[in-house]
Amino acid sequence: MSTTRVTRKPRRYGMVIDIDRCTGCGACVIACAAENNLAPAHSKATERTGVTLVRVVTLSSAESPGTGFGQPRMAAYMPLMCMQCEHETPCVSVCPQQAVEVDKLSGIVEQMPQRCLGCRYCMTACPYHARSFNWADPQWPAGMEATLNPAVAPRMRGVVEKCDFCQSRLNAAQDEAAMNGQSDPGAYTPACVEACATNAIVFGDWNDPESPVSQAAASVETFAWLEKLGTQPKVRFHSRQPWIRAMAARGGAAPAKEVAHG
Amino acid sequence: MFPGVDGFHWSPAHITFLTVFGIVLMAIGTTMLIVLWRTLRDVRSGRGARIRWTEDFEDLPVNERLCRHALSGTAPGRVCPRALDCRECAEHPVYAAREISASAGIPCGLDYPAQRYYHRGHTWVEPLEDGCFAIGMDDLAQRIAGPIDQVRLPAPGETLHANGAAFTVSSRGRRLRLRAPMDGRVVATGGADQPWLVKVKPLEASPRLTHLLHGAEVSAWVRTELERLQVLVSPDATGPVLADGGMLHRDLPGAMPSAPWDEIAGAMLLEP
Amino acid sequence: MADMAWNAIVAVERKLKPRDAVRCPLPQFAAWLAPWMLLFAVGLYAGFLCLRDGLYHTNMDNRFVFGLWIFLDLAIIAFGGGAFFSGFLLYILRRRELGAIIRSAVLTGFLCYAGALLVLMLDVGQPLRAWFTFWHPNTHSMLTEVTFCISCYLLVLAIEYLPTILKNRQLRRIPQALVFGWELHRMMPVLAIVGAFLSFFHQGSLGGLYGVLRGRPFAFREGFAIWPATFFLFILSAIAVGPSFLIVVTRVVEFITRRKHAGGDVYRVLGRISGILLIVYVLAKSVDTIVWLNSTSPQSGFRAWEYYAWEPFGTWILFLEIAGLGLLPAIFLLYFSRTRPERLFVPALAACAGVALNRYVQTIQTQALSTLPFDQFVTYSPSWQEVAAFLGVIAFAVIVYSASYRYLNLFARSH
Repeated sequence: MSTTRVTRKPRRYGMVIDIDRCTGCGACVIACAAENNLAPAHSKATERTGVTLVRVVTLSSAESPGTGFGQPRMAAYMPLMCMQCEHETPCVSVCPQQAVEVDKLSGIVEQMPQRCLGCRYCMTACPYHARSFNWADPQWPAGMEATLNPAVAPRMRGVVEKCDFCQSRLNAAQDEAAMNGQSDPGAYTPACVEACATNAIVFGDWNDPESPVSQAAASVETFAWLEKLGTQPKVRFHSRQPWIRAMAARGGAAPAKEVAHG
Repeated sequence: MFPGVDGFHWSPAHITFLTVFGIVLMAIGTTMLIVLWRTLRDVRSGRGARIRWTEDFEDLPVNERLCRHALSGTAPGRVCPRALDCRECAEHPVYAAREISASAGIPCGLDYPAQRYYHRGHTWVEPLEDGCFAIGMDDLAQRIAGPIDQVRLPAPGETLHANGAAFTVSSRGRRLRLRAPMDGRVVATGGADQPWLVKVKPLEASPRLTHLLHGAEVSAWVRTELERLQVLVSPDATGPVLADGGMLHRDLPGAMPSAPWDEIAGAMLLEP
Repeated sequence: MADMAWNAIVAVERKLKPRDAVRCPLPQFAAWLAPWMLLFAVGLYAGFLCLRDGLYHTNMDNRFVFGLWIFLDLAIIAFGGGAFFSGFLLYILRRRELGAIIRSAVLTGFLCYAGALLVLMLDVGQPLRAWFTFWHPNTHSMLTEVTFCISCYLLVLAIEYLPTILKNRQLRRIPQALVFGWELHRMMPVLAIVGAFLSFFHQGSLGGLYGVLRGRPFAFREGFAIWPATFFLFILSAIAVGPSFLIVVTRVVEFITRRKHAGGDVYRVLGRISGILLIVYVLAKSVDTIVWLNSTSPQSGFRAWEYYAWEPFGTWILFLEIAGLGLLPAIFLLYFSRTRPERLFVPALAACAGVALNRYVQTIQTQALSTLPFDQFVTYSPSWQEVAAFLGVIAFAVIVYSASYRYLNLFARSH
């Protein structure tokens, strides 16, 4: 029996999220949880101890340096997940046991729950706070196990997890492509992208100039959060609102102004 | 970490890492192996007894490490610098020459025959006609021990090292270890009918016994030892007096059961 | 009957103590240990809860992933630096005065490291996977280096402490024990070098842990080669505060036991070394702070005032760390080590507090500050389980130290 070596084209999957289109409905969060077998929140869980691979955040113009005195207050929503940093990926170099790696073929930052020690050093390193720790054992109410996605292994307690652009869907797409005699799936769609009612999330391969992300990124209104950190995130954002882009241009949160709660 | 394990690459970082920590672990491991090997060698060669004695001696309180000439008053307060081995001491002959031999008697009715040589740990050596030496417990040691139930002696053929363990005696469940006054090969063991417990053949043709107390020095030493014993039995000097002109009790633990005899025996027999 | 049993216990316990040493009576010792035992038991229970149910018993969360445990780990490991540094001074640089306290120093270091490792085992989510770090190490991670060095160094400290244990009145009766201890002691310079190397590296790597955090501009520092500036600052602060911590420990032991254990010469050496190194550290830390505020941080898009605008973490904390608990104790350490070594306790304690504050800032403030412009400054206060587990480890250290003090000779006899 001979094995044929298939050389695949390296991809750099990424997203462009249009903040102006996001309604904050949370469908992406639900779709993600269902796809990735996230257990219902533990009874003792707080908003900061649950497991969410994508969360929806609120942006307020009051926090933006681009908002002048007397201008009307504006708000916007956007989903936030792992940005799949490309350059000096902060979480990869810190992991003591190589449980976080960047897949050279897909550009996806992968977290191996089976090898994770749960030291949470990668969470400290992540500038986007895009990771969740399993503070308790995942538990599903009786009968709910039937709804679990068989393609994704649930994670155990005490490990860190994060968005991997629905790796299982990529695997499925690769399997399908292989069955069709192709070496490369090309495109696939993560759950959140699929669930978004307003098509606010565009997904594709940065290496492919024809891909939707490359097309969307051509605009000057496309930016990345914390670009100056130099980590080259593969998830970028788009907004026509100057106050949002002004927020992105600067670093940390501004304490001088009243921070909107809720 | 190792070649063949997932995640290992033949990269400079991995090779450096493996090398550095390999060296560290090897340094720790080799050190421990060397220590173990040297320990075994010491124990086999008999150096172990000397090392043990040196370590023990260092852990003795200052008043138990005094020079023999400090006891007789020639070198007041002098602490012995070589673990009570006067054979190699350069100062010992100088002080010995200065000793004034005032022959006072042995106090409290203690029996210290003049022909014997005494070790500071209360054992003695007596030269025999056949060139061998008899070793035994001195009178004070016997009184500190009380009635002896059991004696554990070295087997003939074994080697005793000066200041190393010679034999142990048990009394009322308390075990006392006595130190050998000289080096020698055990040729016979004594017991009830003989005054000696072990008979040894010296390792050298003409053994030097200069490190042992003999003659006029013995009485000064016994006096100091009695004073020490007095302090140990009743530190506040209000308790029973041992040597109040009379005779020392034959069974001291039996006479004063409340005194800390375990510590007292340690102090008198140079056991830290 | 109970009386007889008690007398038997007293008699047996008495035989474990050094024969001529002054130690308090057993009931008094038991009374001293009792509250610590209780604290230890509560800590064990808290640790058990965390191990059984997961870390939701702590107040850490997805934003505040390091809390009290990591902060205190860093602090006590810095204090433990005194063990390697005094070993280095005694065995390599031949500062004989330190022989008086070296056993206590080794034990202190051992307890600091063992305590840190115990807490770390609770802190990680999957303690049983700790060996993965040895099997699949990521050589680029500072944490890998820390794990390797700490475990190796703990081994070295245990070996260094072994001769002291073997000198116990009962253990020394084992014929080979003293010989083994003596031979081990002869090899101590080798272990001192290995220990110094390991300790040097992991103290640095603990600093590097934060310095490499490119995504956390409050902690990120540039440096030399692969090591950020905090790598060197942590080494410097650890060897500066280690001797100070030994002063504190020795003084506290002297106070509790009401006995003098170290002469003025020991305090003088420790105070002077600590003071000089602390001055060097304060200078280096100042330069680092200036470079960070004016160059490193702005390059990441963060202006310095942003960090200090959140109450209560104002700039006062920076001044307190560098001047109030850095420069000031250093000056007093140097002054008192020349004039009145018995007064070194307060400046030594202040120096320890300064380095602890540095570890606090590095751990807690880094976590509290948000990086995303729409995110918030988050606060955290430890849960009772975290506090109890930590106090349990402190109690463990106190119990082991007390027992060691009672049954071994931790301080050289004054001749």
